[in-house]
Amino acid sequence: MFSRKYLFVWLKTSTLSLESVFSTKGSSLMYLLGKFIRFFFFLWLLLRLGDQIQKVSGFTVNQLIIFFLVFNLFDMFGQIFFRGVYWFRQDVINGQFDFALLRPMSALFQVLTAQTDLLDVPLFVIVVAALIKEGISVPLTMWFLFAFMGMISFVLITAVHIFAAALCVLTTEVDHTMMIYRDLSAMARLPVDIYAPLIRILLTLVLPVAVALTFPAKALMGLLGWPYVLFALIISLIFLMASFKLWQYSLSQHTSSSS
Amino acid sequence: MGLLLVYFLWQAVFSHSQSVFGYEKPVMLTYVLGTSVMQALVLSSRSIDVGGQISTGDLSNYLLKPLDYFRYWLARDVADKLLNLAFVIIELGLFIILLKPSLVVPANSGLFLAAIIAAILGMVLYFYLSFLVSMTTFWFVEHNGWPTRFLFQVLIEFVAGALFPLDILPAAVYALTRFLPTSYLLFFPMQIWLGRVNFHDVWFGIGIMLAWILTLQFLVKGVWNRGIRVYEAYGR
Repeated sequence: MFSRKYLFVWLKTSTLSLESVFSTKGSSLMYLLGKFIRFFFFLWLLLRLGDQIQKVSGFTVNQLIIFFLVFNLFDMFGQIFFRGVYWFRQDVINGQFDFALLRPMSALFQVLTAQTDLLDVPLFVIVVAALIKEGISVPLTMWFLFAFMGMISFVLITAVHIFAAALCVLTTEVDHTMMIYRDLSAMARLPVDIYAPLIRILLTLVLPVAVALTFPAKALMGLLGWPYVLFALIISLIFLMASFKLWQYSLSQHTSSSS
Repeated sequence: MGLLLVYFLWQAVFSHSQSVFGYEKPVMLTYVLGTSVMQALVLSSRSIDVGGQISTGDLSNYLLKPLDYFRYWLARDVADKLLNLAFVIIELGLFIILLKPSLVVPANSGLFLAAIIAAILGMVLYFYLSFLVSMTTFWFVEHNGWPTRFLFQVLIEFVAGALFPLDILPAAVYALTRFLPTSYLLFFPMQIWLGRVNFHDVWFGIGIMLAWILTLQFLVKGVWNRGIRVYEAYGR
């Protein structure tokens, strides 16, 4: 009963997002085209590199492509499901957020899923198809490990968006938080092994985009040891708990001053 | 952070090869560092807000004031670029101190001067291109004109040479880009800096830039005159 109510609300907001996509066809087409161009140009660059060199930081170009595909898969997950956070600032400023607090369901859920970015779905499907094609010879156990690391990635990406929402309640600022996250996560388009050790540590421990976006690809290629799996599990749970704590704290500080 | 991705990618690429796509390691690293610096100066324009002013009707406030709208935005651009220059100096300084990359400097003062002139002309070129994109909002008001801007920015990143030098493109495509204004925004000034173009090509390129600036100036005025006729000050 509880989950059906949330599913109903999510389907309703997603339907509204879909209607919005169709009511602004020209804009949607341009956004879609931009996303495709960005994806395929970068892919072309990787393939072009493959003509010239055998390996980059110990990875073959094929492996780099898998890293890139996995990055896009999980990055788009956040974009598709949690797009609502990007518009949250306006709701906090004009007092609309107070209505979310009054409704008989989680305010956090409403904030995160207020919008569904369906324009990422076509590319998402292409990425999934490409990954299946690339990983056709991968043993089933690796796919299971990839699925497990994928769930950890979902947890981390969710936690990041909860952090952003909480910071928005506290500071009425979300654009720059998300911009920093987007820039940092873009660094994981390629394996973090290419970076200097200090940057690698920062991307793994401080803001674990490496755990969320690089580790699943390593799991799929059989390059991730069990200690790293355990570490990823622990850090994702710590991040999720910390994000919930911050969200609760931000609600306790919310003054509804705009209402 | 974008710079770190591109820098370390090319650093990793050169860990096993001396020369890739005809570029040696210091040359390529200077290219990616240089284009990153130039992005902050060339590919930045406050005229990005013009679309919003058209779609919300705020443009009317400016039309009533005794000021030249183009010069107003040009002045804001200059101020914005000066601010960016200050940040770039700090970022670049930190980058060089921390990572100590081996960089290439122009072989002589003539090349240095030509690269600076090309970069300044690139800024003017981008101002007109960006203004032109913003003015599409006269006809395409959806989302404050942001979809056109998004597409433009995605394309510019690749066709201006921000991610990779344009001469690694297939020969026919590269030959085509030499006649497009976009390749003169980042790629051409950096090619001069690196000494990869001869004296004749420098002047030929600068000539093309001037021709594009004049063409775009003419085009911007023409589009503005047509746009202002369909402008209905929605929201006012």
